[in-house]
Amino acid sequence: MRWGVLPLVPALVSVAYGQELESSPFHADPASIGVGKASFRLRCSACHGIHAEGGRGPALNRGEFEAGETDLDIYRVIARGVPGTEMPAFGQRSTEENIWRIVSFLRTFEASADDIVEGDPARGEDIFWNRGGCGGCHRVGQRGGVFGPSLTRIGRSRSVAHLRESLLNPGGDLPPDYYVVRVVTRQGKTVRGIGLGFDDFSAQLMDAAGKFRSFLREEVQAIEREFVSLMPDTYGETLAEDEQRDLIAYMQTLRGEGGQR
Amino acid sequence: MKLRLGLGILAAGGLLAQAQVDTQALMGAQQDNESWLMYGRNYSSWRHSPLDEINTENVNRIVPAWIFQSNQNGKLQTTPLVRDGVMYVTGPSNHAWALDLKTGRELWQYSEPVPEDLAVCCGKPNRGFAMRGERLYKVNVQATLVALDAKTGDVIWEVAAADYRKGYSNTVAPLIVKDMVIIGIAGAEFGTRDFIDAYDAETGERVWRFWTVPGPGEPGNETWGGDSWKRGGASTWITGSYDADLNLIYWGTGNPGPDLDGAPRPGDNLYSDSMLALDADTGERRWHFQFTPHDVHDWDAVADPVLVDMEVEGTFRKALVQANRNGHFYALDRSTGEFLFARAYTEVNWADGIGPDGRPILIPGREPTDEGTLTCPGMGGGHNWHATTYSPQTGFYYFNSGDGCQIYHGATQDFVEGEYYLGSAMENVTGEPREGSILAVDPSTGDRQWRFALVSPPSSGLLSTGGGLLFAGTMEGYFLALDAASGKPLWRLQTGGPVRAPAITYMFDGRQHIATAAGTSIFVFALPR
Repeated sequence: MRWGVLPLVPALVSVAYGQELESSPFHADPASIGVGKASFRLRCSACHGIHAEGGRGPALNRGEFEAGETDLDIYRVIARGVPGTEMPAFGQRSTEENIWRIVSFLRTFEASADDIVEGDPARGEDIFWNRGGCGGCHRVGQRGGVFGPSLTRIGRSRSVAHLRESLLNPGGDLPPDYYVVRVVTRQGKTVRGIGLGFDDFSAQLMDAAGKFRSFLREEVQAIEREFVSLMPDTYGETLAEDEQRDLIAYMQTLRGEGGQR
Repeated sequence: MKLRLGLGILAAGGLLAQAQVDTQALMGAQQDNESWLMYGRNYSSWRHSPLDEINTENVNRIVPAWIFQSNQNGKLQTTPLVRDGVMYVTGPSNHAWALDLKTGRELWQYSEPVPEDLAVCCGKPNRGFAMRGERLYKVNVQATLVALDAKTGDVIWEVAAADYRKGYSNTVAPLIVKDMVIIGIAGAEFGTRDFIDAYDAETGERVWRFWTVPGPGEPGNETWGGDSWKRGGASTWITGSYDADLNLIYWGTGNPGPDLDGAPRPGDNLYSDSMLALDADTGERRWHFQFTPHDVHDWDAVADPVLVDMEVEGTFRKALVQANRNGHFYALDRSTGEFLFARAYTEVNWADGIGPDGRPILIPGREPTDEGTLTCPGMGGGHNWHATTYSPQTGFYYFNSGDGCQIYHGATQDFVEGEYYLGSAMENVTGEPREGSILAVDPSTGDRQWRFALVSPPSSGLLSTGGGLLFAGTMEGYFLALDAASGKPLWRLQTGGPVRAPAITYMFDGRQHIATAAGTSIFVFALPR
C-alpha cells in the first residue's frame, strides 16, 4: 500500500489509511478525478470504451452500475473483478487510493435520457425469434444460433444508443474479435464466414452453415480479412420505429439471469 | 528468499575448462562461432553470425534438438548466452536458468521474488544476461542488478539501481564494457527521472551515472519547463552498443513523461527520444541526437543502435543506424552525432519528412486531444524494441515494423508517485487492425529491398546468418527462416506460443544450432545427423 502526494485531501487519506472506506474521498477533488480519468483510459478503456461508453465491457457512462449503486460496490468490482466474466481484479495492480480515484471519475457521469427506451419487451421478444430472424444467428441462453455474438447478457453490457446503432448499422462498431474471412479457392469459388483464426500462413472460419473450415494460403488463390458485419443492415427499413423500440427493449432485458444463463 | 538449485558445471559434460570471458573475448565475439557472448552478439549489435552450415538450401530440413519448458508464465523475451557447452537463459519475473547445451536439461536455476507492490507498464520480462569472467549479470525487475556465479547460479552481489516504489523497474540486458556493467532503467510511464549506470563488475559499486534528464545547471535542463524535469522519464530499457576505438557507448532513450500530454513540459525535453554517445570511462556525454523533440506520441528511441561503416553519398562514414519508433529510419555519424539522413519506412502522418537539421517537419493538428487524434504510426511504432540485424553478407539492415494508425487521446493529469503518468491513452481504429512487416533496407540509403507482411504487429527480434538466412517469429507462434536476399519464406514451425525474442546461433558438437524462445519455452534446432 502506498500513499502518494495528495495535497487536496490529506486529512481524508490519513483517516482512510489501513481501513476500507465506504465512499471515495476524491469526489470533490478535480485533480484526483483527472488522475482517475487517466487511469480509467489506461486500464479500462480497452473494454469499457475511451469515454466509458462500453464495448466488450458494459457502458459505465450511464450513471448506473450493474454491480450495485454505492461507491464501495464499484470499488469492489474494480478491486476484485467479476468471477465468470472477462473483468479481472485490479486490486493487485493498483493502489487502493487510485481505485477510489477511478470510482470518483465514474461518478461524474449522470443517467442519460437517451438511455431510456419505451418499448414492449414481449413484442420485442416475438420479433427477435420470429419476424426479425435474429435468433437464427444470435443465441440467448441455450436457444438460438451461433453465427453471431451471443446476446445472453447484452442488456448488461450495452447502452440503448449502442443497441440502436448495432441494430441499424451493424458494421458501425464490430466486436473486437468479429471479422469476416473471405477465401477464394483455386477453383475460383469464394467461401466467406466468421473468422476463427487468421495468421500469416492459414485461416479458419465458420461458414453460413455453421461448418468449421480451415485453409492454407499456399493451397488457395487468396485469403483476406474483412472488417464488416454479416448481419443485414436493413432493419431500419424492414422494422417500423415502434418495432425497433420493442426489440431494443427486449434486448435490454437480456441480463444473463434465470434460464438465460 | 532466493532460490538457487545447482547441479554444478560437472554436469555439463565435463566441460570444466571454462575460458575466461574477458575484454579480448568480448571484442572478438563476432569471430567466436561456438559462443553467443552478449545481447547483440557483438559490440556493434549486428546479431549476425557467419555460420553457414544451415543455409538456404537445407534449412527446410532442420529439426528440434531439444526444447526446454521454463514453466514460468509471462513474456519470454531473452537473448540466451552460450559459452562452453552451457546456455544461460533469463525469464520473466526474476527467473533464470543454466542449460546443458547437449540435452537442454537444467544445470541450475535462479529466482528471486517480485515485490507485490511493484508497478510495471508492460509485464515483467527480462531480455538477457551479460557475461564477464566467470560471472553472469542480469537486472531484476525491481530495478536491481545482480551478479551470479556462472557455475552455480549463486548470488555474488546484488545492488539496487533505483527505488522501485517510485515507479522504477528494469528489463534490460546489461552490456559489459571493460571492467564495468552498463545498464539502463525503465519507469517513464510512472514519471520517473531516468539514467544510464555503470557498475564495477567485481564489487557492484557504481562507477558513473548519466541522468538522461538533466538537472538544474546541467546542459539541456533549460528544455524542460518549470520542474517538469523531475518527472521527465527518458527510460533506457534496451541495450546499447560500444565502439572501442572511439571509446563511446551508444544508448537510446525513451519518451518524456507524461507520454501523451506535452503541456506540463514545454520545450524539447532533452535527452528524451535521443541517441546518446557517452565516454565509456566517465559516462560524460560526447554528443546526442534527438529524434523526436517534445514527443507526445510515446516514440521511444531505445531500439538497437547498430554500428556500420559505410559510404553515404560518396563519403565513408563510421555510422550508427536506427529504425526509430517514430516511423523513420535514421543514419548518424557515430563519431560526431551528425545527422546523415532519415527515411520513412511505414505510414507516417504526423511529420512531412525529416528536415536537413534532423528535426521532424511537423504537420499541425496531430497532437493527442481529449476527443482523439488519428495518428500514424500507432503508439507502439513503427519499429519498437525488437532486436534488429545487420548482415555484412547481403549488406542489408533488417528490422520489423508495426504498421497502421491509432487514435491518441490526451488529457492532463496530476502526478502521483508510483502511479501511471501517461496523460491519457490510445485506442484502436475500428475495422483497421494494426499489422506488421519484416523489412530489409540498404543502410546507406534507407531504400527498401523487400518486405515480408505480417498479419499482426511484430513480436520477435531477428537473426541473420552466413547461410543467407534471416530468422524471425510471429505473434501467432510461427518461427520462420526467410531468404535474407529476397524475403522469401523457406521454412517455418508453429511453436504453439508467441515468439517474442530474437534467435541466436552457435556451433556445438560439430553442428550449427539455432535457438529461440517461443511461448514459455526455449527451442533449439539443428540439421539431422
